[in-house]
Amino acid sequence: MASRFSGALQLTTLDDFITPSQECIKPVEIKKNKVKTGTKIKIQDDGTYTEVLEGGPTTKLEKVEITLADCLACSGCITSAESVLVTQQSQEELLKVFKEKMDKQKAGESNFKHIVVSLSIQPILSLAERYKLSPDETALKLSGYFKSMGADVVLDMTVAEDFSLIESAKEFVERYKASKEGSKNQLPMLASSCPGWVCYAEKTHGNFILPYIGVTKSPQQIMGSLVKYHFADLKGLSPEQLYHITLMPCYDKKLEASREDFYNSLKETRDVDCVITAIEIEQMLTQQGKELNDFDEAEIDKPFQEQDQENSTILLGHKGSGSGGYANFIFEYAAKNLFQLPNAKLELKSLRNPDFQEATLEKDGEILLRFAVANGFRNIQNLVQKLKRGKSPYDYVEVMACPIGCLNGGAQIRSQDGAQPRELAAKLENEYHKLPHSDPELNPTVQKLYKSWLDSENSDKAQSFFHTQYHEIEKMNPSISIKW
Amino acid sequence: MGVLELIQSLEGHKGRVWNVCWHPSGETLASCGEDKSIRIWMHDKSKWVIKSILLEGHSRTIREVSWSPCGNYIASCSFDATVAIWDQKSGQFECNTTLEGHENEVKSISWSASGQLLATCSRDKSVWVWEVTDDDYECAAVINAHTQDVKKVRWHPEKDILASASYDDTVKIFKEDTSSSDFICVATLASHTSTVWSLSFDKTGNRLVTCSDDQTLKIWHQYEPGNEMGIPTPDNEPVWKCVCTLSGYHSRTVYDVDWCKLTGLIVTSCGDDVIRVFREEDDSDVHQPTFSLVCKLDNAHTQDVNCSQWNPVTPGLIASCSDDGTVKLWSYSD
Amino acid sequence: MSRPLDNPNPKIYPKLEEKLSVNEQIEDIPRNADAVDARRVFELLRNITDPEHPLTLEQLNVVEQRLIEVDNEKNQINVQFTPTIPHCSMATLIGLSIRTQLLRKISPKFKVSVTVTPGTHVSEAAVNKQLGDKERVAAALENEFLCNVIEQCLESTEEL
Repeated sequence: MASRFSGALQLTTLDDFITPSQECIKPVEIKKNKVKTGTKIKIQDDGTYTEVLEGGPTTKLEKVEITLADCLACSGCITSAESVLVTQQSQEELLKVFKEKMDKQKAGESNFKHIVVSLSIQPILSLAERYKLSPDETALKLSGYFKSMGADVVLDMTVAEDFSLIESAKEFVERYKASKEGSKNQLPMLASSCPGWVCYAEKTHGNFILPYIGVTKSPQQIMGSLVKYHFADLKGLSPEQLYHITLMPCYDKKLEASREDFYNSLKETRDVDCVITAIEIEQMLTQQGKELNDFDEAEIDKPFQEQDQENSTILLGHKGSGSGGYANFIFEYAAKNLFQLPNAKLELKSLRNPDFQEATLEKDGEILLRFAVANGFRNIQNLVQKLKRGKSPYDYVEVMACPIGCLNGGAQIRSQDGAQPRELAAKLENEYHKLPHSDPELNPTVQKLYKSWLDSENSDKAQSFFHTQYHEIEKMNPSISIKW
Repeated sequence: MGVLELIQSLEGHKGRVWNVCWHPSGETLASCGEDKSIRIWMHDKSKWVIKSILLEGHSRTIREVSWSPCGNYIASCSFDATVAIWDQKSGQFECNTTLEGHENEVKSISWSASGQLLATCSRDKSVWVWEVTDDDYECAAVINAHTQDVKKVRWHPEKDILASASYDDTVKIFKEDTSSSDFICVATLASHTSTVWSLSFDKTGNRLVTCSDDQTLKIWHQYEPGNEMGIPTPDNEPVWKCVCTLSGYHSRTVYDVDWCKLTGLIVTSCGDDVIRVFREEDDSDVHQPTFSLVCKLDNAHTQDVNCSQWNPVTPGLIASCSDDGTVKLWSYSD
Repeated sequence: MSRPLDNPNPKIYPKLEEKLSVNEQIEDIPRNADAVDARRVFELLRNITDPEHPLTLEQLNVVEQRLIEVDNEKNQINVQFTPTIPHCSMATLIGLSIRTQLLRKISPKFKVSVTVTPGTHVSEAAVNKQLGDKERVAAALENEFLCNVIEQCLESTEEL
C-alpha cells in the first residue's frame, strides 16, 4: 500500500521492510522481573506469548505497544506511524466513540463524552466536489451526518483560522523588528501550520531550521484549545468530558494532534482527540452504502457569536492560497503596520515551477519585503538548501508539504473522472475564492474571544493558547536492529 | 567470434573499483571506488597514465562518477548520501558544490543530454532530478515511485526522459509533466525476477537493455501511441515491452550493461569475472530481436566485474573495473 | 539497550570438541588457507558469537558443517545458516557476520553465498536477497555502528 503521508514524511529516514512489530528500531522499555533461570517463553495458538517458569505458573506476557507519540519522538522511520495511526486515529475508532456515547445515553448514563466536530474548509470543498453539492450544502449535510451519529456540536473553523492568521502576522512583525535590531535567526519566518513540514524539519534539520518556524499554532490546534478550554467552560464541562474531532485535508494532521505539546497530562486529554479526513468520510459513507446527499441538513453551531450577529453566511474563505492564505494576510498586515502601506497586494510570480512563487513589497524602487510560497517536498528542499548556504533572500515563506498546498492535501478525495490533481485543485481553488472572505481583523467573534476568553490580546493566556514549540529530534543511537 | 584484447591494466585504486566513465571526448577516463578517490586517467603517447587523483570530496565509498556532456564537470555520488560536483575552473579539479538531500547511500548519477538536468537515486527509494543553471543546482523533482533501493538512473540519449532500475525488480520511466514541471512515472517495466542492477538505452532511445541479479539481460522496445503493431497505449503514453530475454549466458549477477551508441554492441559486466559482448543479428526483427554472444572473456578480472563502458569515440574500446582493484582497457574486434 | 531479546532462552547444542572422539582431534583440520573444505569453513564460522548471546553459532546450531558446501573447482562456497527462531530479527546481522568473516579469511577467488536454511525464517527470501546484494553489504560494513557489532561477534574467532 502506498503511504498516505505527504512526500516529506515518506522520505524521512525511511528504512526497508517496515512494520512496527518487526522493524521498529525504537528501543522499548519493558518491565522485567528479576531474571529467572529456567523460564521458557511459549507461543500459544492464538499468537500470544506466555512465560512458563519451570514447574511453575504460566504468565501471559505483555505485548509491547508503540504509540504514535513514540513514533513522533523517534528519529527512525515515520512509516511505522502509519500502521499505528490505523489503531489510534481511525474511522473505526471514531465509530466506536460515537457508538459508546449513544449506548450510554440510551442506557440513561450521564458519564458519556460530549462530541464536538470541527470542520476545516479544504475537505468540505473536496466533499462538495465529490458529491456535487455546494460548499454550504456540504457543510450542512456533514453536520447532519455527524449529528445523526451522535455529535452534539458541529463547528466551522473560521475563527481558529482567523486567530492563526492574526497571531502569525503579529509574530512576523515582532520578528522583523527584532531582526532589524540585530537579533539572529528571526527571518525568514517560516509557516508553522503544516505538520508534515514541521515534522520533517524536526526529524531531519533540527535546530538549524526550527528557530525560523513561527511559533503560532495551526488552526487545528487553536481550535483544539478553543473547544477544550473555552467551549467546555461555557458548557460547564471539564476538557476530558469532551471528545473533539476535526475534519482535515491530510493525514499529517493526525500526527500533529498526537504531539505531546497538545496533550494535557493532568486531565489526560488531547486538544484534538481524533482527526478524520475527506477520503475517510467518503469511505465511511461508502461502507454504509450512502451518499452525503442522503443525510438531512443540520445547522453549523455558532456558540461563540454574539446573539445579534448576522447569521446568513455559513462558510467563509480567506484571501490568498487555499492553504489558509498565510503569505497574503501577513504581507498585507506587515505592509500596513511596518511600512504604512495599507493598500499593498501580494502578487506572486512562479519561479522554476508553479509550486515556488515569490512576491515583493516595493516602495520607490526599494524592495521592502520579499515573500515566497513553497509547496511540495522538492521546494522544501530548495528552501532548506538556500537557508543552509545563507542564500535565502526571503522575509517570510508559506511552506506546505503537499504540492499545490492544502487543497491538494494527501487525504483529499481523488478525482472521479481521472483529472490530474492539479486540475482538480484548480477547481477547488476556484470554489474557495467564490466564498465570501473573512477579514480576521474585523471578525467580531475574534475580538469578543480575545476579551471574554483570553482577557486581552496579549495576555499570558493568549500566549499559551496560541503558541507552541518545536523539538529537535536527536538521531537515536543506532540499535542492533539497524537497517542496512 | 569477436576478440577482446587487453590494452592495459590501470593500477592504483585500493580496494574495489565500482565505476568507470569516459570523458565525452573519449580521451580521458574517470574511475572511483571503495578508496573514496576519483582517479583520472589520460592517454599519453603510447600508454594510459594517471593524470590526477581527486580526494576529500566524500567520506565513504564513491559509487559512481559521471562526466557532464560539456566535459567540464564531474559529478560523483557516494555512500555518504551526498553528490559532489567537481570543476576545473582553478586549473585543478575541485569540488565546489555538494548536493544534499538523500537520506542514505546515493547509488547512481546521470546527466541529461543537454547537461541541464542531473538525476540521482538512493537506497532511500527516491529518484531526484536537479536542474542545473550555471553553477546553481535546484531540486526539480523528488520521485517516490520505487518500493526499494534504487540502483541506477540513466537519461535517454536525446530527450529529457529518465529510466531507473531498482532492488524492487522493476525499471521505471519518468518524464516531465509540463503543468507542474514535476517528473512523473509514466511506465513500469516489470519482468525481471530479482534486482535490476543497470540499464542502457540504445542510440535512438527507443530501446533499453537491462541486466539483473536474475542472471538475464532483457531488451525493451518502446511503442508510441498509434504504433503499426497495434499495441495498445493506455493514457496516450508510450508502452515499453520486453521483446527479448537473454538467459543462460551469465552464471552470476549481471552488475552492468552498456549499449554502444557507435556499433550497437552490448557489453556486460558479471559477478562471474567475465566480460561478454553481444551483437544483434543482421536479420533481427525489431519486434522480436535476436542477439548472439560474440565474445566471452573468462577471467577478464580476478573478481567480480562491476562496470564496463564503451568509449564514446573509438569503436570497440572498452574500460572495465572490478572488485580486484583494477581498471582495464580492452579493444574489441570482430 | 533495553530491547527485548528475540529468543531469550535458545536451545544449546554441544561444541565440536565435545562431539569429536579422542582419535579425531581438530588438529586434522587443514591449516593451509588455500586448501579449503567444509570443515575449514566451519572452523572459521563456528566461534562467531550471536549478537544477543554470549553463545557461539555452533552452540546455537546456527551453523553446521553439513550445511556448508565447498566446490574447489568452481571456486564456490555456499553456507546455509539456521536462525534460532523463525522470526529472528537478527538473521540479517548473523548472515552479515558470516559473510564478513569469509570475506576476510577466505581467498577472494571464491564466490561466497550465505543464505538462510530453506524453511527456517519467515522472511527468508528478503534476508537472502539482502545478504546476496554486495552493494548493500559493502555499505553496511562502512557503517561504524554495524561494524562494531560485527567485530564483537567475530572477536572470539580471532585466533584462527
